[in-house]
Amino acid sequence: MTTQTAIFRIDGVTKSYGGVKALDSVTLEAGVNEYLSLLGPSGSGKTTLLRVIAGFEVPDSGRVFFQGRDITNLPAHERGIGFVFQNFALFPHLTVRQNIAFGMANGAVPVSAQETAQRTQAIIDMVGLTGMEDRGVDQISGGQRQRVALARTLVMQPKLVLLDEPLGALDANLRGRMRNELRAIRERMGVTFLHVTGSETEALAMGDSVVVLDRGRIIQRGAPDDVYSTPASPDVAHFLNRFNLFDGTLVDGKFTGAFGTVAAAKVTRAPRDVYAIRYDRLRVMPLSTAAKGPALKATYIANEYLGSSVMNFFEAADGKVVEVEHHLSLGAPETYEPRQDYLLTWAADQAIVFGREGK
Amino acid sequence: MESRVLKPMLAVYVVAFILFLYGPFFVLGILSFQEGPDGGPQFPITEWSTYWYRQIFGLTPPSRIAPLPVGEALIRSLILAFMTMVTSTVLGVMSAQAFRRKFRGSGFVFYLIVLGMMVPGVLTGLGTSLLANNVFDITRHWYTTAFATHVAYTFPFAFLVMLAILNRFDGSVEEAAWSLGVSPWKTFRKVTFPLIFPGVLSAMLFAFTLSFDEFPRSLFAAGGSEDQTLPLAIYGTFSVEIHPNIFAFGVLTTLFSFALLSVYGILMGLSVRRARKLAMQEEIA
Amino acid sequence: MSDATVTAKRQGPSWLILPGIVWMALFMVVPIAMICYVSFWTQTTFNISSTPTLASWKQFFASDTYTGALWTTVRIWLIVLATTFIIGYPTALFVGLFVKSKTLSTVLLVICVIPFWTSFLIRVLAWRPMLGKEGAINIILQKLHIISQPIEVLLFTELSVIIGMSQIYCVFMVGPIAFMLGRIDRNIIEAARDLGAGFGRIFWKIIFPLSLPGVVVGAIFVSVMVLGEFATSGALSGRKVNLLGNIIVTQVGSLKWAMASVTGVILTVVMGMVIAAFLRIVDLKREL
Repeated sequence: MTTQTAIFRIDGVTKSYGGVKALDSVTLEAGVNEYLSLLGPSGSGKTTLLRVIAGFEVPDSGRVFFQGRDITNLPAHERGIGFVFQNFALFPHLTVRQNIAFGMANGAVPVSAQETAQRTQAIIDMVGLTGMEDRGVDQISGGQRQRVALARTLVMQPKLVLLDEPLGALDANLRGRMRNELRAIRERMGVTFLHVTGSETEALAMGDSVVVLDRGRIIQRGAPDDVYSTPASPDVAHFLNRFNLFDGTLVDGKFTGAFGTVAAAKVTRAPRDVYAIRYDRLRVMPLSTAAKGPALKATYIANEYLGSSVMNFFEAADGKVVEVEHHLSLGAPETYEPRQDYLLTWAADQAIVFGREGK
Repeated sequence: MESRVLKPMLAVYVVAFILFLYGPFFVLGILSFQEGPDGGPQFPITEWSTYWYRQIFGLTPPSRIAPLPVGEALIRSLILAFMTMVTSTVLGVMSAQAFRRKFRGSGFVFYLIVLGMMVPGVLTGLGTSLLANNVFDITRHWYTTAFATHVAYTFPFAFLVMLAILNRFDGSVEEAAWSLGVSPWKTFRKVTFPLIFPGVLSAMLFAFTLSFDEFPRSLFAAGGSEDQTLPLAIYGTFSVEIHPNIFAFGVLTTLFSFALLSVYGILMGLSVRRARKLAMQEEIA
Repeated sequence: MSDATVTAKRQGPSWLILPGIVWMALFMVVPIAMICYVSFWTQTTFNISSTPTLASWKQFFASDTYTGALWTTVRIWLIVLATTFIIGYPTALFVGLFVKSKTLSTVLLVICVIPFWTSFLIRVLAWRPMLGKEGAINIILQKLHIISQPIEVLLFTELSVIIGMSQIYCVFMVGPIAFMLGRIDRNIIEAARDLGAGFGRIFWKIIFPLSLPGVVVGAIFVSVMVLGEFATSGALSGRKVNLLGNIIVTQVGSLKWAMASVTGVILTVVMGMVIAAFLRIVDLKREL
């Protein structure tokens, strides 16, 4: 992607707060009409990244480009980049309509009253707030506030919208519905969204592209499927909350861990030797089974019903908790006896091996 | 000691304390109804009458007791207090706004400003009159030298009030306005100021009250008798004989303050409702 | 263009803070400096010139009246400080700690503030008919047969000044202390009680130390006002009590600028020492 087709690009941006590097030489770009998810644990710098692009923070070094222009030193109100806050930041002393019309009524370029009213009404209808126009912001629900925040930003027709954990303040049910609405709205308007979240399910569900951030650095970028199936490092694997991770030693293409020694066909380079296998790739067998591939003896503890799947918890000999996920679409779940030993097996080629020997 | 015993004991004490606070006020109130024009400003009450109240408004026939020289002084005090209120509130808001970001020397500036409320009026008054008389050779007036000294006194109070308000202010609404393309100045006018208005009102009230009753600074920094503020006019009666009309005047000014504070309370109630909406928004985050 | 905007953004605070700094420098710092300067000027009976001399300083310390005023000021300050503290603390304790309802504590504080709506000078004057031989206090005490003869020392003595000042300034102690006490987490006191501590222990080890910033703020307010006083002593002591403030006023009245300045400098030094000492006890900026 050249700088011409990228809607924004940040180049080698570093930002420190009191000696702590929130962003460490980060380079990132996104194209026109893209949905980019930014995923990372708290403290990873994802909010800082957003604020640097928006212009609320000035980077210590590096440059920020928007639509080809260098905006590194441009103040926030001249950038034309939309921002949706986690707590919505609605203007409490204004009605819904006044909130949405605020940018047009007070911006640098005057918009005629007629056009303001027309565009305001159009966006209100689009986000589904018809009838709420003259309510105060304390008289509407959380989901409606979310829509006002969105409408207020979108009515300004920005080319890029930054969303800082926009669904974080909503309850789980609402979150699910809003996810779909956000996607729909974005596609309708053809705007690039940069959506920051700490929830891996949200990031994987929302974006065309997922960027994983940890401790101020981008550690992986790709389509959700790729990131989900092939994490680039043990940290990403850990953060995705989908993998059982085993420590051990990797020597000459053979990994030795709690489950014995297994051949590793492909090894990804990492500072530690880690063996990763997805929760839903493990099979539970009776203890007496003769295993053909890698196998681990473990004691059943409990299970947890997650809606579309069941998570079974086992404890290995060294005390490590191993999780086995069973998707209910594959059939009815098995029941296991608590404190009974079982054998957990998996296909060796489904594992992801990280090590110092890797490439 | 159990708090079961302590609490009632303290409650009784507090009642006594309040009586102690109001003692002179009661005496003042009672004596204001002293017989006039011959009644003196001490007990016993020879005859109950509203003479002194009427005298203040010029409704009594002239007697050997001169009416209080308060007419013009009152107007001057009101104007001076108003000017002080506006200036020190503007300075207070600007300075508190500057303190929202860390800057070099902020500790020094903080103490420089707060020092203004800790220096007694005699000193700043003396210094200002020295400067006016012996250095710059300007005449002291209530609207120049006294005004400057009043602001130097009330601005720190306004500053501290605004600092406390802005510390608790969530700046994300301002950032939201910027992201919509609204300039920082417009954002201040349309977003920040309406939301901090209760604090501004408090600062204004503080500054007005402090300036209206301010005495040592006016004493030194104002000029001759054409510069008298209200406290100065009252002080002038100290050395001469005092009469119950001063007490009647005290009661009237107290009632005026009461009216002023009621107006303030109403305005506060209206704008606190706005601030409450902001707090509600923060609760969900 | 971009660099200018950056500098403008980084210079943000300075244009906001500059007017405040300038105003305080011009109208507070410079006057005080002027006082120090003029204290060294030569003063003749009718004239003053800027030739430096220590004559006024020597005159101050040589004279009993002036040094007496210094000691009187310090003495009265200490007594009033102690009195306002002793009188005010129990009230603050009640309002800050024992009153649970926010409305009630606000109402109580407002009740304490209402007397301030009457002009300060008039309130000072009102003490005269209270303390005199035929004043309110004597009348009441005699009616209750507590005394048979009117107490004479109540008015036109040092005691009357102390009483007047204590009553007028004690509220400045109550406010800050009640504020700090109100911020104490009740759970801490509960926990201490659960662990078996009696109220005395709880007070000295927990409550009092946590209220200390409020005590310091109150003490600073009261000290500043008492040290700069001259109206109360003028009205209630009948010229008997001479504070540094009174000296300054009379000297200025007779145009003796140098002597007034000397007194002013001494007052500034005393106040500076007092405030610095108090600020040692507690770091105030943190509390804000």
